[in-house]
Amino acid sequence: MISAFFIYNQKGEVLISRLYRQDLKRSVADIFRIQVISNTDIRSPIVTLGSTSFFHVRHENLFIVAVTKCNANAALVFEFCYRLVNIGKAYFGKLDEEAVKNNFVLVYELLDEVLDFGYPQNSETDTLKLYITTEGVKSERALKEDSSKITIQATGATSWRRPDIKYRKNEAFIDVIESINLLMSAKGNTLRADVSGQIMMRAYLSGTPECKFGLNDKLLLEKDTSHKGMARKSTAVEIDDCQFHQCVKLGKFDSDRTISFVPPDGEFELMRYRTTENVILPFRVHPVVNEIGKSRVEYRVTVKANFSPKLYANNVLIKIPTPLNTANINVRVASGKAKYVPAENAILWKIPRFQGQYEVMLSGDAELSAMTVKKAWSRPPISMDFQVLMFTSSGLLVRFLKVFEKSNYTSVKWVRYMTKAGSYQIRF
Amino acid sequence: MASSMRGLTVFIADIRNCRVRELEEKRINKEMANIRSKFKDGNLNGYQKKKYVCKLLYMYILGWDIDFGHMEAVNLISSNKYSEKQIGYLGVTLLMHENSDLTRLVINSIRKDLDELNEIYNCLALHAIANIGGREMAESLSSDVHRLLISPNSKSFVKKKAALTLLRLYRKHPEVIPATDWAERIIMLMDQSDLGVTLCAMSLIMALAQDNLDAYLGCYAKAVNRLSKIIVDKEYPQDYVYYKVPIPWLQVKLLRLLQYYPPSDDREIQKKLHVILQTIINNSQEAQKNVQHNNAQNAVLFEAINLAIHLDTESQIVNQAAVLLGRFIISKETNVRYLGLETMAHLAACVDSLEPIKKHQDTILLSLRDKDISVRRRGLDLLYSMCDVTNAKVIVAELLRYLNIADYALREEMVLKIAILTEKFATEYQWYVDIMLQLISTAGDHVGEEVWYRVVQIVTNNEELQEYAARTVFSHLKSPSCHENLVKVGGYILGEFGHLIANIPEASPQEQFRAIHSKFGLCTLQTRALLLTTYFKFVNLFPEIKGEILQVFYQYRHVLDSELQQRAAEYVAITTMPIDDLLQSVCEEMPPFPERESALLSRLHQQHSDTEDKRTWIIGGKDANKERDVARLTLTSRNNSMDNKVKSETNGNDDIDLVGLEGLKINNGDQLSTTPPGSVTPGSEKFIDRLLFTAEGVLYEDTRILIGIKSEYHGNIGRLALYFVNRTQTNITSLTTAIENISDLIITTPQPPPSIISQANQTQQLFHIECKNVFTGMPNVRISFISGTLHTIVLKLPVVLSKFNDPIQLNGSEFFARWKQIGAGPREKQVVFRSNVPINLSGVRTIILGFKFEILEEVDPNPTNIVGASVLHTSGGGMFGCLMRLEPNIEAQMYRLTVRTTNEVVTNEICTLLEPRLANESI
Repeated sequence: MISAFFIYNQKGEVLISRLYRQDLKRSVADIFRIQVISNTDIRSPIVTLGSTSFFHVRHENLFIVAVTKCNANAALVFEFCYRLVNIGKAYFGKLDEEAVKNNFVLVYELLDEVLDFGYPQNSETDTLKLYITTEGVKSERALKEDSSKITIQATGATSWRRPDIKYRKNEAFIDVIESINLLMSAKGNTLRADVSGQIMMRAYLSGTPECKFGLNDKLLLEKDTSHKGMARKSTAVEIDDCQFHQCVKLGKFDSDRTISFVPPDGEFELMRYRTTENVILPFRVHPVVNEIGKSRVEYRVTVKANFSPKLYANNVLIKIPTPLNTANINVRVASGKAKYVPAENAILWKIPRFQGQYEVMLSGDAELSAMTVKKAWSRPPISMDFQVLMFTSSGLLVRFLKVFEKSNYTSVKWVRYMTKAGSYQIRF
Repeated sequence: MASSMRGLTVFIADIRNCRVRELEEKRINKEMANIRSKFKDGNLNGYQKKKYVCKLLYMYILGWDIDFGHMEAVNLISSNKYSEKQIGYLGVTLLMHENSDLTRLVINSIRKDLDELNEIYNCLALHAIANIGGREMAESLSSDVHRLLISPNSKSFVKKKAALTLLRLYRKHPEVIPATDWAERIIMLMDQSDLGVTLCAMSLIMALAQDNLDAYLGCYAKAVNRLSKIIVDKEYPQDYVYYKVPIPWLQVKLLRLLQYYPPSDDREIQKKLHVILQTIINNSQEAQKNVQHNNAQNAVLFEAINLAIHLDTESQIVNQAAVLLGRFIISKETNVRYLGLETMAHLAACVDSLEPIKKHQDTILLSLRDKDISVRRRGLDLLYSMCDVTNAKVIVAELLRYLNIADYALREEMVLKIAILTEKFATEYQWYVDIMLQLISTAGDHVGEEVWYRVVQIVTNNEELQEYAARTVFSHLKSPSCHENLVKVGGYILGEFGHLIANIPEASPQEQFRAIHSKFGLCTLQTRALLLTTYFKFVNLFPEIKGEILQVFYQYRHVLDSELQQRAAEYVAITTMPIDDLLQSVCEEMPPFPERESALLSRLHQQHSDTEDKRTWIIGGKDANKERDVARLTLTSRNNSMDNKVKSETNGNDDIDLVGLEGLKINNGDQLSTTPPGSVTPGSEKFIDRLLFTAEGVLYEDTRILIGIKSEYHGNIGRLALYFVNRTQTNITSLTTAIENISDLIITTPQPPPSIISQANQTQQLFHIECKNVFTGMPNVRISFISGTLHTIVLKLPVVLSKFNDPIQLNGSEFFARWKQIGAGPREKQVVFRSNVPINLSGVRTIILGFKFEILEEVDPNPTNIVGASVLHTSGGGMFGCLMRLEPNIEAQMYRLTVRTTNEVVTNEICTLLEPRLANESI
């Protein structure tokens, strides 16, 4: 398992260094700094040098590194690293060099709690907050009371939820956040398209509520249709794989694919999923880029929104690469703003608000300067960034969320959808 | 000042402040786009161009690809401002390599800068040439560089740079530089008063002279003089003293240069060299406290010792050096030990008597255990070189012992060397066989194929060795572990000579077969094939074990390897034939191998590849070096006497291959036919005729210089003085004379001419002349000097055979007695010729007297006839009597000349000398 855990800043200085096992020396930190941080060629998140493997995640301006000497489960190690980032965000608001430096005692405390001899432990933020507090030392009595609670909760059936929660207004918010990855060839064929989604829930519910959650999952619906004889295939979504928060009763999901759970208090990630079939592309891009002679490149890029006109996309950013020897650029756009950013070797076209079914166009040309050694332009793909509210690329919908509680209170449920661009690239 | 390029400073500060690579990349991209658009727009002034090129260069140095801006850099070169030009050159040298297409564009700008009067521009251009230095550049610019190098107007720092630039071009493209044509001018640079220029020029001359020994012959005398000035006369500026040693780099270079040439015949030069070397050795009698001082001193000393060894291995200096070396090899400093050993190896490689080195044998053996591997290597080289019959056993034994613990890198070479030494110096065959087998069994993997081939060859060729070899090999084979190479030797030797020991009880045929066959399974396929042949030979030698062997053959008929299978099948077929005739004739004993050059030596020599600065000797004994000398002389056979010496040596020495000698002869022939007789400068012929019969006069004159001559002769020696009169209004510099000697006439210069003649002044140079034997023709003298540009004059020196005549007085009867004694035939020559001027008898008499004949009165009855007698003196050939009779016919303007001497060559020569002078001269 994990033998050591380090946090570096961008320069490669060690901010946090915690060894869990005897099989490593503290000097491995230098090896990582030299071999990975200082070496611009290596960008793989896993580097194995000799018998030592380094797993790293970059967050803000930090390198979060787990080191192991054995054949550890890489997915688990990465999950742990990301989990740590989330814990950091929950504690400090933002996990960056500043935050780590200001709270390094707390970070060590957290690390001791979430990893024991290199094995990950409970990393639920809410639970951790019970006994690792950012405030100063509490009075002894309160501590005693709390500690008894901690033991009860940690050993109880629902270790993630305190039993005595009360709200005047019982509410539950569900956010479906999807990020879409696309790679389209120059001829318009989709080479790769997939959606990775996340269902976040904020539960402000009293007591120990039992929730049931339904999606337009294809498997589930097909089962239903066989009962009711109704054809609803068109709207059903095929989910390739999914994973749940620990509160979801997996046994029930396995037997009848119903998602039922007792939610932790506050915000948590209920589910993660991935789909590759029937991905709805929110934007269509038609680039026409012609290299005229050696000294000019002509651009005509058309972008069309593919979703309902009632909806709109925010913060649309289209990045159109330019040749490396560009001297001057002229661009004309009908909507939004476009400008040449030499630092990125690209034209950045920003459209703050993009109505559904609209079509916009950019036309322009780049003047090239002469090169001593003629090298062909590699034509890197056009990439896009956007957010579309109330739209899911996978077509996933929340069908219901039912809350059962002994006291039988009524609760209010809210659902939001959002699609973000992951890596949305179009070749030309 | 223009260095305040704000934009550049800000840009560099920005880049330095980038904490991560990504940020730097962004900043770079932005800047590049900016520069591109600026360059695209054009209309940039020089300052802006310079600034942007600077930025590009900074990015380039950081490692980013720069694919534009080259043209701007090229344009900057032609700017008039120094700072812009400098950046332009910097850009060009950084961004371009020798093969880029753009170099073509730069060549013209560079040429323009070379032509500039501003030295700084010249230097920039020279730097660019040296840094880029492609073929195209070398072809089009080398002559300009050469011009800068030799121009009297260039400053010394330009000359230095030009010399080094030329050197760099020459190293890169030797064929582009007309080394021979430029020889004279470049050699002249050795006379420069500025030692820095001389030092740079020496680097160039060393490289050129190595490849063109003949053309650069002139540098020999100059080098000696320069050395003598520095070391003996102590003439050097204080700036060039390095830790109390005057300019050691130049000294080392000069000493090294002298080693490229065979020792000079000129006694004056020899004497001078002797003094130089002696002074150097005296200077270094005691080690200095200061490390740097010591280093400088040793550098000079070691080079001097090398030169001394090269010149004459028997000299007193070498003896002193040997003593010094003995002290050096026990020094505490590793470097000194290394140099000591290396130089001693050089000594061992050249001297006849190894005695002085043998005194240190124990120390040298100890150096094999030195902690520094390079010292160990040199120790090995030295041991190899100093080995001879007397100490071979000790050295070989020590080497064998050391082989076990030697570095792997060293082992293969050691094995080769041990094998060669053992073969070369073996006095007893048993010792040879013992050592070689021990070598093969201990060194194992490091033994090349050649080594065991050679063992087999030698055993086969020496009958008395065979039985002993078979016995020893057999005992080695019986040991449980033995190396594959030993199995190979064993297999071959037992197969051939196994029967010689078959009578010994423990070496019965069966035992022999089993000893070999026990190793069979562990060997490679190649060895197995060899062993199968051995078995086959056993079948012939020992029919009693045929059954056992046949089984092995049967088994191997089914093996996968086709070679083994074929052998086994063929052997089975032959052995199972009803009659043994074929078997016997196939397996007859091997005939002795023809003598051939040891493959070992050629293998060893392969390992030495010549580097830029060639060694003048090779590791190994005297013979090896002599062979090398022969090879070298075939290339540069120039000095006849040297050739003769080598020839006489090689004739007495059987192991020199004939090919070398043949090459030598052929090349001699070539040499004679291709060397054009020095074409004499026009305008000088009119003086020479007269000088043949007068002792002084004008030898040559033109508007710049007048050369006069004065001479006197006594018997076989003479003295001759040349006077040089400067007729110009400026100084004449770098005056150099070189005599093109003809055989049997030795001309030496006790002193070189003073190289400078101030305006309207004169200097003189003395020559000593000695007539060794009868010679023909006249020697040429080559005089070169700089007056504005280089002038070279080639003149015939009026030194002819008749100059060594001494008139003698004879009376009539004596004359006729001798006249008759010589008689007619080849030793008499008679010519009848017409005079082109009216005959003036008194003039004719003066001419005859000038040719050093005593005019004998009243010998001939006709008073107009002139009878003369003289004796020719030579130091080597003795004296020759010369008699002549001239019968003028005044009316017809005709002469009849009869010459009788005791040697037919002399007769001819005197005739050819007298005839044209009598016909054309009128006094």
